[in-house]
Amino acid sequence: MRDLKHLIYFEDLLQEANNDLVRKGKEDGNIALGYTCYFMPEVLLDLPGAFAVRLRAPRCTSPDIASYYMSGRTCHYGRSLMERALEGGYNFIDAQLATETCTVTCRFQEHLEYMDDVINNAKFDIEFTDVPFKKTKNGIDHYEKQLSIHVLDFLKNKYDIDTSDAALMKAIEEHNEVCRLIQEIGEYRKLDNPTITGYEFQIINLVTMVCPKYLIIDKLRETAEEMKTRKPDDKPNYRIKVELVGAENDDPDFTKLIESCGALVVADRHCYGSLESRQPIEIKEGETPLRAIARHYLLTSQCARFMEQQEMRARKKRVADIADEYKADGIIVISNKFCEYWSYERMIDTLVLPRDYGYPVCSIEKEYINSASGQLRTRFQAFVESVELKKIQEGK
Amino acid sequence: MKRFDLKKLKDLDAKKLAKDFWYGKPHGERRLGDLYIPKTGLYKHREWRGVKDTMYYFNNIWLYNYGHMVTDILKYSGGNPKGLVQFVKGTMRYRWMGQTYLTVMHWFDRCLEGMRDETLRATAWHFRGIVSACLYQIVEMFNRDITLGGDPEKWRKTIAHDETVWGGVFYGFPDVAHIPLQMIPYFVTCHCNNHTVLNYIDAAQALGLPGDPCPMCQAEAGIFLQDDVPDFFPALVTTNEACDGSVATSVIQDWMINKPLFAMPQPMQFDDDSVLENCAKEIEGAIKFTEEMTGVKFDWELLKKKLQDQNELQRNEWEKWDVAANTNSYPINGVGQALYRIFYSQYGDMDCWHETDAKVKKIMDKCVEQKINTFPMTRHRVIAWSCAPLYYSAWCTWAYNCWGLNTIINMDSLMFDMEIRTDSYENCLLDMAKYHEWAPMRRMAVGGLQHIFELWENMEKFNCDMVMMYDQIKCKGMQGVVGLFEDEFRARNIHAIWMPHALPDKRDVSRAEIRKIINDYMFTVMGEEPLDPSLLEFDDSNSW
Amino acid sequence: MKKKEKKQNKALKVLGKTVGALAVAYAGLFTVFYLDLDGKLLYYVVEPFMQKRFDNMERRDPMSMPYDQIDSEYMKRK
Repeated sequence: MRDLKHLIYFEDLLQEANNDLVRKGKEDGNIALGYTCYFMPEVLLDLPGAFAVRLRAPRCTSPDIASYYMSGRTCHYGRSLMERALEGGYNFIDAQLATETCTVTCRFQEHLEYMDDVINNAKFDIEFTDVPFKKTKNGIDHYEKQLSIHVLDFLKNKYDIDTSDAALMKAIEEHNEVCRLIQEIGEYRKLDNPTITGYEFQIINLVTMVCPKYLIIDKLRETAEEMKTRKPDDKPNYRIKVELVGAENDDPDFTKLIESCGALVVADRHCYGSLESRQPIEIKEGETPLRAIARHYLLTSQCARFMEQQEMRARKKRVADIADEYKADGIIVISNKFCEYWSYERMIDTLVLPRDYGYPVCSIEKEYINSASGQLRTRFQAFVESVELKKIQEGK
Repeated sequence: MKRFDLKKLKDLDAKKLAKDFWYGKPHGERRLGDLYIPKTGLYKHREWRGVKDTMYYFNNIWLYNYGHMVTDILKYSGGNPKGLVQFVKGTMRYRWMGQTYLTVMHWFDRCLEGMRDETLRATAWHFRGIVSACLYQIVEMFNRDITLGGDPEKWRKTIAHDETVWGGVFYGFPDVAHIPLQMIPYFVTCHCNNHTVLNYIDAAQALGLPGDPCPMCQAEAGIFLQDDVPDFFPALVTTNEACDGSVATSVIQDWMINKPLFAMPQPMQFDDDSVLENCAKEIEGAIKFTEEMTGVKFDWELLKKKLQDQNELQRNEWEKWDVAANTNSYPINGVGQALYRIFYSQYGDMDCWHETDAKVKKIMDKCVEQKINTFPMTRHRVIAWSCAPLYYSAWCTWAYNCWGLNTIINMDSLMFDMEIRTDSYENCLLDMAKYHEWAPMRRMAVGGLQHIFELWENMEKFNCDMVMMYDQIKCKGMQGVVGLFEDEFRARNIHAIWMPHALPDKRDVSRAEIRKIINDYMFTVMGEEPLDPSLLEFDDSNSW
Repeated sequence: MKKKEKKQNKALKVLGKTVGALAVAYAGLFTVFYLDLDGKLLYYVVEPFMQKRFDNMERRDPMSMPYDQIDSEYMKRK
């Protein structure tokens, strides 16, 4: 396939958190608001006068100082963020909108609160929001109240950000346009012979999470246009198609590694994936914008921390439905080492998905940035071969 | 064969021998470590504590508790001998029961080693209270277990719940038994006999669970995967307490149990009063679910009455803390204090707690009035922080006997530190919500670092000069804050010993390793000599 | 008179024997306690037996359990 026009530019933007567009966004007089988790609604941080930056720690392979603070027995992602913060890599953020949604990222954010010299930015402040574990009315009420107090009031009182309904509506509109563009680009993954790779798509999607949206939207539009005429290779250069499911994953090189073994990643149902985060927000009749946001983020999330019975059970089917929809031949379930939620979820998915839904599963425990790529390559190659064999046996 | 040494016999001091026989050897001459049979933790012979205390131990602890381990079964079965039959069936069916139950008296032995006089008596009463409450739960489980021929009517009127769901949620239901799913099969058994739990951890890992998640949650998952949970309930209530691992195991529970489940999660940011309403509604949801599942109507008056009784237990606890903090006359050792507190405050109100408290109070009052120094060999007053090793809860007893480290209080005892208002339904529900948010392994561990650093004020409150810092190597919450603790200890010039452990799994850090770490600190940093050198090193690798 | 004495003697004998038997039992129990014979019996005999029993017990295969939405008729059937 012909290279995407802006891919190298997008790749460059992912090389560091404080990238060119973030700097430009701040020069334009906006404040940069950091967050780590889908449960902190990105759209609220993209209110006029502010922009959201989902924190990443690209190229952090050895979080040594962070391991002193958080030991070597916690999630590599949380420690990598801490390391980057200690290195001064997040000094550009003016506030951190924190959630206590998984232990180690919470601990990272608590360090930012407790050690007031880590973020070298006079404006810097941090605020925690409580996120419910259920998608019930009670859960949505609670979430709405929390967002109102700990996000809107915080931004208004501390940073003088306009949090009126009109401002929220504007943020939702901009957010939805990004979502529609990403969805449009993502739809090409459903083709029998997809015209976009998982790596390319992940790059594009990640860029929208870490840059001010108003500075990236033109290039997204161009890319979406470019996709309309993009031709696939005559002979597909992949052997199977897979859905990637699991925990935190913002490392495009990991996707590249999978694809280099012959498995094209056609669906991304993981933290930092697009299937949840890039669904447009719909405001129902009689709903305030904030209510719609609270409902949207709670109901669209497929996080492993939801505890209602029907939700725990529906999660498995949802993964299988996505695989159906994107015509995946198999599912790769990933968890980060030391991630409590996904250690269990991965184990259960690995048992239930092949048994009840007939999908072969490759179960992978990974680090945030994977240095042991040789071992992973062997695993993926073996998985690709086993799926191919299965297809041959089934006469496909 | 050893030769008979006549000289040694001549050197014996008859007067001293008689005195030791009558009063027991003084601390420092006891050589308790010599009593062990290597590897097993068994005794060549039990400790001679002097005539009075040995006979007290034999009559009022050993015989009394063995006897009550039978009579309590009848008592809690309402005098029906079928209860005994069910009990035997359960013992033969469930590993956590069959391999553990009879070893209970050895748990007493380990935890009461070296104790004398009022300390021996008061601590033993705490243990007796725990055993009685355990027996109640076991009997209730087996009498309802329909796979063992239990009563289906009783089965219908039972709610099972995560052990971290506070029992008070079910106070308002007459004739409904609420029984924690894991408290006996996992939590208590680890203390009595840590061999059984290893089977459950292995069962979870055999299905692909990595070794690094919290081993407590792994073991809980393994109990379900090994089909070792009695079928005594029609429905269950789960919660997110204490941590991510507890949330994650819910899926395994749900899958393996396959019955109606109500999730009653608690907010994380509990300092924020705006979360209370959500929490209260979840508790109300659990109450409604219980009504639907059991067909029993919720009774507000009953809830009120039980909460008032529970408040009395809390007032007793405050009195105990007051004595522990401000005198040398607190008669309960570290392990007796910790386990009793966590058990009753988590499970909820029962008659046996009030009976125990009355007996202990009498002893405690005597100690205070007569200014008895209950732990006379105390060199350091220790506060234990974070979550404790379940397979070595008796470390406190060892540390006192060996080094004079007297554990005054521990973190999990300080949870649930409140009375609950019963003046109106609304206030009551909000307080119940707050109480639930302040659960063990949670009150200090979530909702902000300010909670975990309440250590400093509690050190001061309880007049402690040393910290035993539990280092649960698989607890992400605590591992995530080790560096700041190190910084604070240094900045505040506090003596803190990091005690690595893996909650129920002695294979990760053995008891001998734990002792070695304490020994090394006491020798090299504190420059002290042991009170009982025979306890420095011994092999209890295969002991219960 | 003799009969009564005999009866008394018999009662005393029974009492004596009972007290004696209780004393022996008490001493026996004390021996068990002091020499930790209960622990040794449990450790060397009972626990290995139970362990073997539980190791060989047939158990439900966890993989045989369905994992789909809960059956809403569940409570009605019970």
